[in-house]
Amino acid sequence: MAIIKMKKMYFLGLKKDLDRILDALQRLGAVEIADIEEEEEGSARVTTELSELESKLTRLKFAIEFLKPYGKEPNPLFYGRPKFSLKKLREILSREGKIFEIVDTIYGFEQRFSRLKAEETRILNQIELIKPWGGLDIPVESLGTNGRVELKAIAVPKKNFKPFMDKVKEKDLPLEVIPVGESREESLALAVYHNSAKSDVQELYKEFSANTEEFNGFTGTPADIVLKLQERLEAIEAERQKIKEEITQLADRLLDLKAFYDYLLLEKQRKENLLKMAETEKIFVMKAWVPENSVESVKEAISSVTDAVHMVFEDPAEDDDIPVALSNPRLVQPFEIVTELYSLPNPREIDPNLYMAPFFFVFFGMMVSDAAYGLVLSLLSALAIWKLKLSGMGKKLVELLFLGGISTFIWGMIFGSWLGDLIKIKPLWLNPLENPMAVLYLSFALGVVQIYTGIILSAYKNIRNGKVADALMDQGLWLLFLTGLIMMALLGMTGTAKYMALAGAAGLVLTQGRSQKSIIKKFTSGLLSLYNVTSYLSDVLSYSRLLALGLATGVIATVINTMAKMLGVNVVGYIAMIIVMIGGHLFNIAVNALGAYVHSSRLQYIEFFGKFYEGGGRPFEPLRMKTEYLDLEDL
Amino acid sequence: MEITLGQVLALLGAAMAVFLPGIGSAKGVGMVGEAAAGVVTEDPGKFSQTLILQALPGTQGIYGLLTGFVVMQRIGLLGGNLLPLTTHQGLLVFAACLPIAIVGLLSAIAQARAAVAGVGIVAKRPEELAKGITYSAMVETYAVLALLASILMLFGIRLA
Repeated sequence: MAIIKMKKMYFLGLKKDLDRILDALQRLGAVEIADIEEEEEGSARVTTELSELESKLTRLKFAIEFLKPYGKEPNPLFYGRPKFSLKKLREILSREGKIFEIVDTIYGFEQRFSRLKAEETRILNQIELIKPWGGLDIPVESLGTNGRVELKAIAVPKKNFKPFMDKVKEKDLPLEVIPVGESREESLALAVYHNSAKSDVQELYKEFSANTEEFNGFTGTPADIVLKLQERLEAIEAERQKIKEEITQLADRLLDLKAFYDYLLLEKQRKENLLKMAETEKIFVMKAWVPENSVESVKEAISSVTDAVHMVFEDPAEDDDIPVALSNPRLVQPFEIVTELYSLPNPREIDPNLYMAPFFFVFFGMMVSDAAYGLVLSLLSALAIWKLKLSGMGKKLVELLFLGGISTFIWGMIFGSWLGDLIKIKPLWLNPLENPMAVLYLSFALGVVQIYTGIILSAYKNIRNGKVADALMDQGLWLLFLTGLIMMALLGMTGTAKYMALAGAAGLVLTQGRSQKSIIKKFTSGLLSLYNVTSYLSDVLSYSRLLALGLATGVIATVINTMAKMLGVNVVGYIAMIIVMIGGHLFNIAVNALGAYVHSSRLQYIEFFGKFYEGGGRPFEPLRMKTEYLDLEDL
Repeated sequence: MEITLGQVLALLGAAMAVFLPGIGSAKGVGMVGEAAAGVVTEDPGKFSQTLILQALPGTQGIYGLLTGFVVMQRIGLLGGNLLPLTTHQGLLVFAACLPIAIVGLLSAIAQARAAVAGVGIVAKRPEELAKGITYSAMVETYAVLALLASILMLFGIRLA
C-alpha cells in the first residue's frame, strides 16, 4: 500500500553479456536504469546506431500511417491490439531488406500521388482560365497576325467594357470587337483590326486596361481545349485509383511493418540505456532502480543469463532522485488517476490515494445524486470495461466513472431522486429541494471531516519525519483551536468549547512565530497566524458546492421532465416526449458527470491536498517491452 | 385575472437569471471554441481534450436557466395559476435572481479566459490538461456560490 520502496542497484558485468542482460531485464520490466553521474560522453558508436534506428523508425512510421487507411484491421479499441509472439518478432529481422523495399515502394506511391496532385491543380487552374472563352469558336492558333489583319482575344474589366465599346464606335477605326463571353471579373471579346491601326488599338487597350490572351501552348478552339483538359483530369483520377489498388494489395503487409517497427522500438529502448552506463573495454557499470519486491526476480533473471556479474542493492540516499511507483488496493486504483493528473507524490511523502478515494467517491455521487443517473453511468461504464480493450489512463477513468455511478445511485436513493421528479420514490433521508439547509450543513460537515483528515495526515508526515514537536504545535494546536471554534458555533459559549478555543489560540500565538529571531517578531507572527482561520473558513464554505451541484442536477432533470410532458398531447407528441426525455437526461448526465468530476477533483486538489501534499514525484519507468502497435505474447 | 406589478417583477428576475448568464456562457464557450479550433488545426487528436475545456464556461447558462425555472415554479407560472404577487414579493424574487444573473454573466467570461489559457496548455503539454481544467474550475466556484445564494433565497421567500 502506498508508495513502493525502491532499492538502488549497482551492477557490474562483462560487456559481451550486456545485450543478453538488457534483453532479460527488458522482458522482466522491473528495472529503471539511471544515469551514472561520473560518466563522460556516451560512446559515439551507440549514438550513431541510435540515430540510424531513429531514421528507420521515422520511415516505417510514415509507411504505416500511409498504409493504415487501406488495411482492414479490426479497431484495437474493440478487439485489442494484434497479438504477436516474441519469437516471430525476432524472425522478422531476417526480412529487413524486404520490409524496407515495401517502405520504398510506399514512398514511391507518395511521390506519384503528389505529382498527380500538382498536375491536377495546374489543370484545374487552366480550365478555370479557358472555360469562359467557350464562345470563341476559332482555333486559338489562328489568333495573332495574319498578313495585314490582326486577330486578338482580349479581356476587359467588366466595368470598363461598355465605355470601351462606345469608344471603339466613336473612334471609327478599322477595328471590329465581337463579345464572346464573360469570366468572373472580365468581359471577353475577339478584336479584329487592320495592322495600320495597331498603335491606336494598343492605346485603347491601355486606356481601358484590356489584356490580350495568348493561349500559349494550346491548339484547337477553347471548347476543345477544355474538353481535352477534362479528359486528362479523368485520366489522372483513373491513375490515382490504380495506385490505390496497388496500395491495397500491399495492405496485408501492414502487420509486418508494425511488427518491425515495434522490434526496432524495443531495440531503441535498450540502446538508449547503454548511453547511461559507464564502461571500460571489457566491463560495464550500471546504476538502476528496482522496486524492493522485485529484487529477487531481478537476481533470478540475471543469473539465468550469466554468472559473471556483481550486483549490489542498497537503500537510496538522502538526495537521490527516486522514481515513484504506487501500489494500492484494487478498489483504490481507479482514483489514482485523480492524483496522477495533479502530480505524483514525491518519493519521501505519503501516497494520498487511499485517503482521498473515499472522499472523491462520496463527493462525486453527492454532486450528481440521482439514482437512475447513477445506474446509467455505472451500466455504460461496465459495458465499456467489458467490451472495450482499455488500458492505462482510459481504463482507470472508466473504472472511476463506474464507481462514481454507484455512489450516485446511493445518494439518489438517499435524496429520493429518480430521473429528477419523474419516478416518485420516498427518499431514504430527505429531498434536498424541500430542506436545502440540512444538506448544506451535511456538506459543511463532510468538508470539516476532510480538512481534519488533511491536518492529521500532515501531522502524521511530521511525526514520521521525526518532528513530533512540529506536529503538536503546527497541527495539534490548530485542531484544538478549530474544534473549540466549531463547538462554540454549534453549542454556544459553553465552558469546554471556550477553553479549548482559547487554549488553542494562545498556543498558536506562542508557537507560530518560533522561527523568528526577535521576541517581538515571534509574538507578531504568532498573532498573525491566527488570521489563517479565515482560510479554514473559506475551505469549509467551498464544500457548499456539494449541495449546489446536487440541486442543479435535480432541477435540470425536473426542467427536462416538465418540457417533455408539455409535448405529450397526442401520439406524435408522445414520441417527441420520449425523445426529449432520453436526449435531455443523457445530456444532463454528461454535463453533471463532467461537473462532478471537475469539482470533486478540485476539492481534493485545493482543499485537501493543500493541507499536506507536496507532489512532484517522477514516475517509475522501467526498461520494459513497450510496444506501439502489437501486444507481445510469451514474454 | 389582473396582472400585478409583483408578477412582472418576478418574471423580469427570472428572465434576467436566464439571459444574462446565457449571454456570458455563449460568449465564453465561443471564445474557448475559437482557441480550440486553432489547436485542432495543428493536431486533430486534441479534439476531445479541448472540448472538455470548452464545456466548462457553459455551466453558468445552465445555472441561470435552472434559477429561472425555480422562479417559474415558485410563482406558479408552470402550473398555470400565477400567484397574485404583491409588489414587495415581486421585488424579493427579483432580488433573489440577481446573484446568479450578474455573477453568472461575468464569471462565465472570466472562466472562459482561464479555459482559453488552458487550451494553450493542451497545445503544448496535453498531459497537463487536468491543471488547465482546475484553473478554470477555480473561477466557476463563484458561479456555484451565486447559484446557491439565489436558490436558497428563492426557497426561503414566502409567496403563498
